[in-house]
Amino acid sequence: SRTDQDHLLLLSTTLYVGNLSFYTTEEQIFDLFSRAGDVKRVIMGLDKVRKTPCGFCFVEYYSREDAENAIRYVNGTRLDDRIIRTDWDAGFKEGRQYGRG
Amino acid sequence: KRRRTSDDVNIEDRLDSLITRVGEKSTSSLESNLEGLASVLEADLPNYKDKIVKILCDCVVYLPEKITVYTTLVGLLNAKNYNCGGEFSELLVRNLKEALKTGEFESARMIVRFVADLVNCHVLVASSVLQMFDNFVEVALEDNIPQVRSDWYVNSVLSALPWVGRELFEKKEAELNKLLQTIENYISKRHHIHVPSLRVWASDDPHPQEEYLDCLWAQIKNLRNNKWVEKQISRPYLAFDGVLCDALQHTLPQIIPPSHNDEMKYPIPTVVFRIFDYTDVPEGTVLPGSHAIERYLIEEQINKIIDSNYLERKECAAALLSFPTKNKLPLNYIIIETVFGQLFRLPKAPHLELFYGVILLEVCKLQPSTMPQVLAQATEMLFERLDSMHTICIERFVTWFSYHLSMFQFRWSWDDWSIAVQQDPTSPKARFVHEVLQKILRLSYHQRVMESVPESFHCLLPIKPQPFYKYEQEGAGSLPGTMKAHALMSAIKSRCTPEEAAAILKELPNPMTDDDSSEPVFNPLKIDVFVSTLLYLGSKSFSHSFAALAKFHPLLKSLTETEEAQICLLRTLYEVWKSHQQMLVVLVDKLLRTQVVECSAVANWLFSDEMSQDFISFYMWEIMHSTIKKMSKQVDKLQKDVDEARDKLDAQRRRAADGLDMDGYDDDDVPTPEIIDRMEDKLETALSQQKSLFLIIFQRFIILLTEHLARCESDGIDYNTAWYKWVIERLQQIFLQHHYLVYKYVSTLEELLFTSNVDIHILEIFQQFCSLRS
Repeated sequence: SRTDQDHLLLLSTTLYVGNLSFYTTEEQIFDLFSRAGDVKRVIMGLDKVRKTPCGFCFVEYYSREDAENAIRYVNGTRLDDRIIRTDWDAGFKEGRQYGRG
Repeated sequence: KRRRTSDDVNIEDRLDSLITRVGEKSTSSLESNLEGLASVLEADLPNYKDKIVKILCDCVVYLPEKITVYTTLVGLLNAKNYNCGGEFSELLVRNLKEALKTGEFESARMIVRFVADLVNCHVLVASSVLQMFDNFVEVALEDNIPQVRSDWYVNSVLSALPWVGRELFEKKEAELNKLLQTIENYISKRHHIHVPSLRVWASDDPHPQEEYLDCLWAQIKNLRNNKWVEKQISRPYLAFDGVLCDALQHTLPQIIPPSHNDEMKYPIPTVVFRIFDYTDVPEGTVLPGSHAIERYLIEEQINKIIDSNYLERKECAAALLSFPTKNKLPLNYIIIETVFGQLFRLPKAPHLELFYGVILLEVCKLQPSTMPQVLAQATEMLFERLDSMHTICIERFVTWFSYHLSMFQFRWSWDDWSIAVQQDPTSPKARFVHEVLQKILRLSYHQRVMESVPESFHCLLPIKPQPFYKYEQEGAGSLPGTMKAHALMSAIKSRCTPEEAAAILKELPNPMTDDDSSEPVFNPLKIDVFVSTLLYLGSKSFSHSFAALAKFHPLLKSLTETEEAQICLLRTLYEVWKSHQQMLVVLVDKLLRTQVVECSAVANWLFSDEMSQDFISFYMWEIMHSTIKKMSKQVDKLQKDVDEARDKLDAQRRRAADGLDMDGYDDDDVPTPEIIDRMEDKLETALSQQKSLFLIIFQRFIILLTEHLARCESDGIDYNTAWYKWVIERLQQIFLQHHYLVYKYVSTLEELLFTSNVDIHILEIFQQFCSLRS
């Protein structure tokens, strides 16, 4: 439900990152986001059909505080010459990495 | 007492908003706003006095940049309502005493300054404020206290004097002179052992880096020579002199500093960071000299703006650029200098390093025609002064600069830095450029870095990162593990189980087997074949590597039970990923978190002979510090678990004692004493691991540096080489970056490692560290 979703967002340590270049790699994302804190994993968004990166990813931190710093300081800055956007995500679940094919 | 109604709540919110917003940009003058607000508050005093007094007291601490606005307001209220001024002073004094007792020293300093400024508004009697100053300065005469304690009290007085100096000079000159004499005596007797470890540059050319209290004292002496007249503080109360001078004044009660206890953490001293002087700034503006009180006041206010806005980068940039007296000042220069001053502050920058990168971007965005040039000028100057810059600061410079370039398509006038390619690769400038390129590589990709720098810089370029898998190289056939490595590879590719993988490895001989000794505790060949094959198969990305490690985690753990075996694993990791520093950093992190390797193994590996060619590479220290950090996080977590468990048990026992513990009420989570015992054992183990981690690191440093010093002495050459500088400053970094932790072990370290037998150059570093809090 809506309130469950809001609750998850308040506790979440996962960010949805959008407007990535299709060529940006996990390593690049890792480096930029590690500057805000310890990154647990990066899950690349993939094209449903071709299974290639398609411009978004999830970044999961170990702690909420580090994730908050990423929202504060990484959102709206550049990676690979593109202005990327970060938002809270309720948490990654298998299957969500596939974007529109 | 009256009951609070919703009307009251509305009025209280309105009061809060009126008071906290006064002094912000407005269409009418500050004076008329203050006058209006004072009348409004006067009308509300009968019903809301407590609330108003409390809001005002909060403003003292939370809005220190508007101090004189609020002292004026308090002055106006006091003139209208003597009791209100009295109650305000009483609460403020109570807050001050509380802050001193609980160690909230920055709040306390702001209250002291506010109290001082209240003399100017005829709220407090000058002599009673002088009495407080005297009491504070007397702390300097106490015996057996750390210098940081007396420093704080003297500093709190000095930092209030720009506000109240003139008034005291006019009314109580003799007493003021006596106070200053006591301070001067104190200043001249202070020790300065800590200063070298806090300096950004080892050299005083072109700007000396003064200790903060020495510098402030010099500035105050200048202010005194100028008859206590300064040009920076806006004093709205001057406009109300007619009203205020008729007001009755209060006498401040005695404020005696609470006595010292060893638990108290006083602020650590700092040095004053300067890049620019008046010759660097454009004509038409004046950068106050380094001993002008105005420089202190401006810098402090810029620092305050940063510290109260750092969570909102856009507001922070806007607030910096709308600095009150900006038209008379080279504001851009002052902002850049202050931001770098925070970034390079030792032991630690006050905020996340990334914040400084972002705030510099934001101010450049808001002032695109002027700010980027000033930032470029500062960057040039920092580069020029790299030779004497502290390693910790060079590291922060690299981290910031690589980030900054990535926001501007990596464009930079590299040719101006061609000196870097002519120098020895271990020299600071060459190393700086190399490390910047390494960092840029992480944010982009190899081709991009190649194209971003002139060809002449390619000698400093890292090679293209790729895995090295020896079992597929030419000539691999003669290696003992090749057959099994290939068999393992095809098994893993066809999704074998960990047991099947183990079965393949089982047939590998152990090269360490020796006829007359017992069974070796680990098999280096097994580890090498398994780990290199696994990493090679997962080499496509971090995720692939993580997945490979996760799938075979138990097998990995069973092969590497001893520290030697873990070091062997790390060696294989290095062989595969030598050209990919970020991969090494990330994988060591993963191996530590999944407890495949222990912190002590990582530390010993970093200090091992095989790694000596990378010893001054920055990524090695990235791994070292993140290892220490992980160890301490583990300790913190176990400590928290134990505390929580104990609290739960205690709570349950209290309930039982009160007869409230009924069947069915009993919480399943309440741990038994046995569980707590086990948790405590775990915590004990982690604590001793942490201690031994520090002992290993410091011991290896001492051995390494002692060898170097001895070798240089016997060869008759200068010990102070580029290598030595990098290494001794890395030792310093361990102390500084983890000072809270290391401080716990000071006596052990003194007893076991940093003894009088150790070379003085090494011992000095330890002594400097100890003096930070003494």
